[in-house]
Amino acid sequence: MKVMIIGAGKLGTKLATAMLNGEINVTIVDNNPKILERIKTHMDVLTVNENGAKMEVLEELNISSYDLTIAVTSSDETNMVISSMVKKLGCKRSVARVRNPDYSNQLDFIKSHFNIDHVINPELATANEIMRYLMENYTFYFGGYAKGKVSLVNFDIKNLPDFVNKPLKEVKGLDDLVIVAIQRNGDIIIPHGNTILMENDIIYIMGHRQNINVIANMLKTPTNKKTLKKVMILGGGKIGFYLATALIERGIHVKIIEADLDRCKELADKLHGDAIVIHGEGTDINLLEEESLADMDAFIGVTGLDEINLFMSLRAKQLDIGKIIAKISRQSYVHIVEKLGINMAINSVNITASDILKYIRGGKVVSVSLLLDGQAEVTEIIASKKLSILDKPIKELNLPKGIIIGSIVHKGKVIIPNGDSRIQAGDRIVVFSLLSEVPALETFFKLKDGR
Amino acid sequence: MNYSMIFKVLGYLLLIIALSMVAPFLIAFSVGQSDAIPFAISIGLTALTGFLLSRLPTSEKKKILTKEGMAIVTFGWIFASFFGALPFYLSGSIPSFVDAFFETVSGFTTTGATIIDDIEVLPMGILFWRSFTHWIGGMGILVVAVAIVPIMGSGAFHVFKAESPGPITDRIAPKIMDTAKILYTTYIVITLTEFVLLMFGGMTPFESAIHTFGTLGTGGFSTRNGSVGAFDNSYIYIVISIFMIMSGANFSLYYSMFKGKWRDVFTNSELRLYLTIITGSVLAISISTFGDVYVSFFDAFTHALFQVSSLITTTGYTTFDYEQWSTFSQMILFTLMFVGGSAGSTGGSIKVVRILALIKLIQREITKMLHPRAVVSVKFGNQPVSEDTLLHIAGFFMLYILIFIFGSVLISLEGIGILGATSSVAATLGNIGPGFGFVGPTHTYSGFSDASKLLLSFFMLLGRLELFTVIALLTPRFWRT
Repeated sequence: MKVMIIGAGKLGTKLATAMLNGEINVTIVDNNPKILERIKTHMDVLTVNENGAKMEVLEELNISSYDLTIAVTSSDETNMVISSMVKKLGCKRSVARVRNPDYSNQLDFIKSHFNIDHVINPELATANEIMRYLMENYTFYFGGYAKGKVSLVNFDIKNLPDFVNKPLKEVKGLDDLVIVAIQRNGDIIIPHGNTILMENDIIYIMGHRQNINVIANMLKTPTNKKTLKKVMILGGGKIGFYLATALIERGIHVKIIEADLDRCKELADKLHGDAIVIHGEGTDINLLEEESLADMDAFIGVTGLDEINLFMSLRAKQLDIGKIIAKISRQSYVHIVEKLGINMAINSVNITASDILKYIRGGKVVSVSLLLDGQAEVTEIIASKKLSILDKPIKELNLPKGIIIGSIVHKGKVIIPNGDSRIQAGDRIVVFSLLSEVPALETFFKLKDGR
Repeated sequence: MNYSMIFKVLGYLLLIIALSMVAPFLIAFSVGQSDAIPFAISIGLTALTGFLLSRLPTSEKKKILTKEGMAIVTFGWIFASFFGALPFYLSGSIPSFVDAFFETVSGFTTTGATIIDDIEVLPMGILFWRSFTHWIGGMGILVVAVAIVPIMGSGAFHVFKAESPGPITDRIAPKIMDTAKILYTTYIVITLTEFVLLMFGGMTPFESAIHTFGTLGTGGFSTRNGSVGAFDNSYIYIVISIFMIMSGANFSLYYSMFKGKWRDVFTNSELRLYLTIITGSVLAISISTFGDVYVSFFDAFTHALFQVSSLITTTGYTTFDYEQWSTFSQMILFTLMFVGGSAGSTGGSIKVVRILALIKLIQREITKMLHPRAVVSVKFGNQPVSEDTLLHIAGFFMLYILIFIFGSVLISLEGIGILGATSSVAATLGNIGPGFGFVGPTHTYSGFSDASKLLLSFFMLLGRLELFTVIALLTPRFWRT
């Protein structure tokens, strides 16, 4: 499969990294030679230093031989033009990033008008992800699979004292649930029956949603019980705006702190309902406290600066606010953040990359989530008739250690598989796999050509 | 200032006024009453003046800008009232010219304040003309000129803006002429509907027409000395109440309805506040007067509905001497005199939309007290209102109250009691008509001196043209080039 990525920003680079693990040839086009230089030394990709919107450049690269073009330059309009042009020039599919909130209601029209196959809006996707987390009662919620029947959540083992220092096979209360991974000091461990759980572990559990809910109820901390009424959002950028709009729709009081006065006015004009926009620096702790930070039910740091998001989240943590989410763009911070006790470090690049990967895997794959800062992913597949692994006991498949079949949904029923379970045609399979095993996963499920 | 252009437009305006006198002339002629000849003379004089003015040569740069627009509107209204007063004066129905002028200003500005103590003896043509001025003035005299005469070009918007009620002037159609035509069509359709409905209630076609003009223009001239109350008919009370409320709502909303945009109508925050104020006042007054003044709750309700609709829309019809009501009920009515109709309606006074903006401004100040760094925008529905508009509205309110206070002080020289002095100014400035005390529902304005009558005429004009247009004309800076 040949993929062209136009725009070598954070998202472009991330996508290239994620794709290289599969058998995909990636070409990156950008007009900044310095960035390309850095990419060339790190990754096995073709880099082209040109303006990706130029037709001669695209033709010279023989665009018609490509299966997919992803336009992720900094300009929405350029992305739309490129995605539309490459289709005309013979590329099979195209994806464009469009992030302007003014366009967010007309993405379907843009898709059909410009003949673009997929449009992504990273800020909207991120805001949706935060919303989903805020609306759930879990410590952490990764999302639902198989139409919401199967969930994956992570729990801090501290909240489950019964589990500590026991091998997995002796842990009780996990009937019909699978621990698919353990995060220990930033590393991922794929557990087996004899793995012993340690005090600071975070466990990832997959299973039927109802069973997950039982566990989640056991864990509920008092703050989680009260419903969400007041939320403070630090940073009135696009994510903050989408988030505020969604919260207001649910009747939640929103307070937005934004440093730029003109942006404040724009927000005040655009947000309707129970929202108040405060003009001030995010680092101004006195201001946050005067605006009754301590009374908030949730604090969300989504300014453009990781450091501000992080520090203010820590302050919120000290004030014992129920839910704290910080947007952290820099990968290297993520481990620190989770150790510091912030509920969720959200990374819009990862969310968007998941979205695009799901699209690339195409047809049979229903959803893909990148987990643990991209070290692992969860894939949902519908088993087709031609699959070679059908009707064989799982223990005979010789799956690599990094791949776990978490659930099989057979005719609407969720089955937590054991070694004797078999996959039948038409089943939905939710698979957890380390990123390093994704190529193996693809051979097992024959996802290579993506359609 | 482009004087020749201003007079040319005023010439066309007079031709339209002359044309509109043809209807009362035909009525007077057909019933053979004494006012036919005075009407013929008035038409002749008005048409001749208008024709001569419209023949004025205009300079090359014939542009109408904001200043010209304001001058045209103000002088247009004064000219129209002057020539409109001729039939009253010439027919001898109103022997004093000042009185005739007052009556005509009151008609065109849709105030409905009268100096005639016995209306019922007047000839039909005069009665018709008196009420017809309401109907013409309701929509704006110059809107007609804008809609019919194409000479003003892009300057039409300045005229339209200076004359149309409310702080924000919207165009429904891209062209001002088309906007004026749409509004007039709406106006005529509603007029015909009420005319027919009143005839069902047993009114003669003549009386039905008179009361329809008075309702639609939110004027208040009647054919009876006892106003609408003389008919003593609940059906008529309710029909007129409903049409008064309709005339006090923004006319562009009817166009939205016609276009099927019901959402725009239901979410219109001005309309909601307007209807809320009416409902609240009607309930409060019906409860307060039930058992006290009225035996049946239905009577209490219909009279309360009628009187509340009449005063908030600044019509000024009465069904009952409301000075017999409880002080609480009278106070509500007095307060409503400062609310008025919606923007873009034929109603006068401060207007609901301004009240709404002021409430929101106060809310914003409170929010800012609690959150000193908050950035809050004032919105009507989901539409943010610009700071300029807000300042303009706050300024308008201040000026309105100042004029009310100083006007009352001047009128108090008449020695008619505080209630009479304040309510006569509130009733003329708000284009309402009847007030309390000396100008209560059973009285007329005939007791004032000529000076006071002219001052009150000036207040009516000020109120109808929304203060700033006229006040600006009085400043020396306006005339400096």
